[in-house]
Amino acid sequence: MRPREETISVGGIDVHAWIGGRGDPLLVLHGAGGNRGWTRWVQQVSEHFTVWAPTHPGFGSSGDADWMEGIDDLARFYLWFIDASGLRRPHVLGHSIGGWTAAEMAAMSPRSIDRLVLVAPVGLKPETGEILDVFYYPPPQLLSLTVHDPTTIPEWDELFGHKPTPAELEIATRNREMAARLTWKPYMHNPRLDRFLPRVTNPALIVWGREDRIVPVECGEQYRRLLPSATLTVLEKCGHLPPIEQPDAFARLVLDFLSAPVAPPEGHAPA
Amino acid sequence: MKLYYFSEMPHHEFPDGEGEKYPSLRLDFPNRFFSPETAAANYQRYLAEYEFADQAGFDGLMINEHHSTPSCVNVGANMIAAVLARTTKRAKLLLLGNILPIEDNPVRMAEQIAMADLISGGRVLSGFVRGVGIETWWANTNPIHNRERFEECHDLIVKCWTEPGPFRWEGRHYHFRHVNPWCLPLQKPHPPIWIPGTASPETAVWAGRRGYTYVPFLVSFDVARELFDFYRQGAAEAGRTVTPDNLGFLICAVAADTRAKALEAGRYFVWRMGPTLRGPAEYFSPVGMRSRAGAQFALKTRPRALAQMSYEELLAGHFIIAGTPDEVTDRFANLRRELRIGHLLLEAQESRMDHPTTMRSIELMGAKVIPALATV
Repeated sequence: MRPREETISVGGIDVHAWIGGRGDPLLVLHGAGGNRGWTRWVQQVSEHFTVWAPTHPGFGSSGDADWMEGIDDLARFYLWFIDASGLRRPHVLGHSIGGWTAAEMAAMSPRSIDRLVLVAPVGLKPETGEILDVFYYPPPQLLSLTVHDPTTIPEWDELFGHKPTPAELEIATRNREMAARLTWKPYMHNPRLDRFLPRVTNPALIVWGREDRIVPVECGEQYRRLLPSATLTVLEKCGHLPPIEQPDAFARLVLDFLSAPVAPPEGHAPA
Repeated sequence: MKLYYFSEMPHHEFPDGEGEKYPSLRLDFPNRFFSPETAAANYQRYLAEYEFADQAGFDGLMINEHHSTPSCVNVGANMIAAVLARTTKRAKLLLLGNILPIEDNPVRMAEQIAMADLISGGRVLSGFVRGVGIETWWANTNPIHNRERFEECHDLIVKCWTEPGPFRWEGRHYHFRHVNPWCLPLQKPHPPIWIPGTASPETAVWAGRRGYTYVPFLVSFDVARELFDFYRQGAAEAGRTVTPDNLGFLICAVAADTRAKALEAGRYFVWRMGPTLRGPAEYFSPVGMRSRAGAQFALKTRPRALAQMSYEELLAGHFIIAGTPDEVTDRFANLRRELRIGHLLLEAQESRMDHPTTMRSIELMGAKVIPALATV
């Protein structure tokens, strides 16, 4: 099913979005690399859910948001987006900084969203390791650090296999600039997020790649401990891009989680 | 044309092979190669050279600041200015400069510069810089905010110097409840402000609008002229006339008794053009620090990095001037003619150039070049 492209104006910002599929709404928030569009896993998930995949303000062809200072601002923006688009209580899936954004949204307004899928989210300070300083590396070197094994990635050629055009380079620069604006300091985390997460009782699936060299997999454990209704799935032989590196397995995980019947309360709601 | 003496106060007493093991001498090269004993001796030496330049007749002493690099161990421009304020007598103290975007307390900076101006009897020229990316990493300041912080920090410093306190400052990046510095500059309305430039047209226009002295660093004549045109554009917008006193230029220079000795000494400047600038682009220009216009201008103006030029090319391009006093005078006069500048800043010591060579160069500049330039 082919998606449609729309420009949605929210809070004075024109946001580009891919929208398509059928079923309950699923809001997909991309990572710092930008909105990769209707990729294989999205195609599969959109058979059962209506996917809304906006491009963050300041990224890609969406409008500027120079007033934003952090991921909490982006989270507020997406709560407005949910209202403005009439997505009543969507599921939210976020990857990397999009995952962090989804976690902040849930912390701010847990009733505005249904289930949460957090894919290698930044946002928590690792207890022992470090989040790789992605701004310190030239983009080609960063890409090689981001994925585990390019030869196993089915969409590698389409996504990364050609020399970027000037327009694509401009978008890549813009994406990096906005990512820096939102995450520079404290680098890629909110020191208070661990105080907020225990109040987020939404069912949550956390997905990580075992070989993630950007955000240590220990952060997945931290998210799982802090979120009262979360499970963690770690994919073997996978780096920081599970949806791209293992799209079929990833889509299956997401569909199983979002389609599962509502679990009975586990009785450890926050005091 | 006024001449200024400048040393980066390098700490180049480590084996070069060790430095080459790291992506860059800046940020990455571990400080286990820093020797406190060597640095202590170096400070004494470099300060003595500055003091001798004052005695020899230089119009000014330029002082800069960098961090996390052996290429410049002057980590506090205002501290060195305070020392030289007491130990020199005549020369201007050109701070070029304080790195505004990474400063978290512009009020303290305004006080410190004022203090140096007071101690020196009003000799401070207060340069403000955006800094290279290295300092942004060092301070962990968001490079996206570099220009905004530069301008807001500047505005607050100038307000500290020119408007009676107490007042409140609630800006985008700086917030102060009570601004009332009890330390104000001797010079009125404030010390002259200088701005360096390497590739940013916006900075040149900005400086031109305000009538600040503008100094391109180590660029070709063509690029300098283009930057001066941007400066003139800004000046014209504000209805200002541009004179040579508004314009300066920075190069590396050494004088010696013979051409051979000078050329041998001049080779030490190659270190600052190459090895000390080696490293990923992200280190020197982190994402967002440069505007699109600045990035495009940089690409156009630096088709070849200084690091890729041979010593002979650096000499031919006036990036380095090395010669006998007569030869140096001729080159300086040519530069003044070509660029119509009023200030020539000389990076006059580098790398492992030894103390006697440095002192002799200062002596020759003072005794021969400066007087000769006044007459040609």
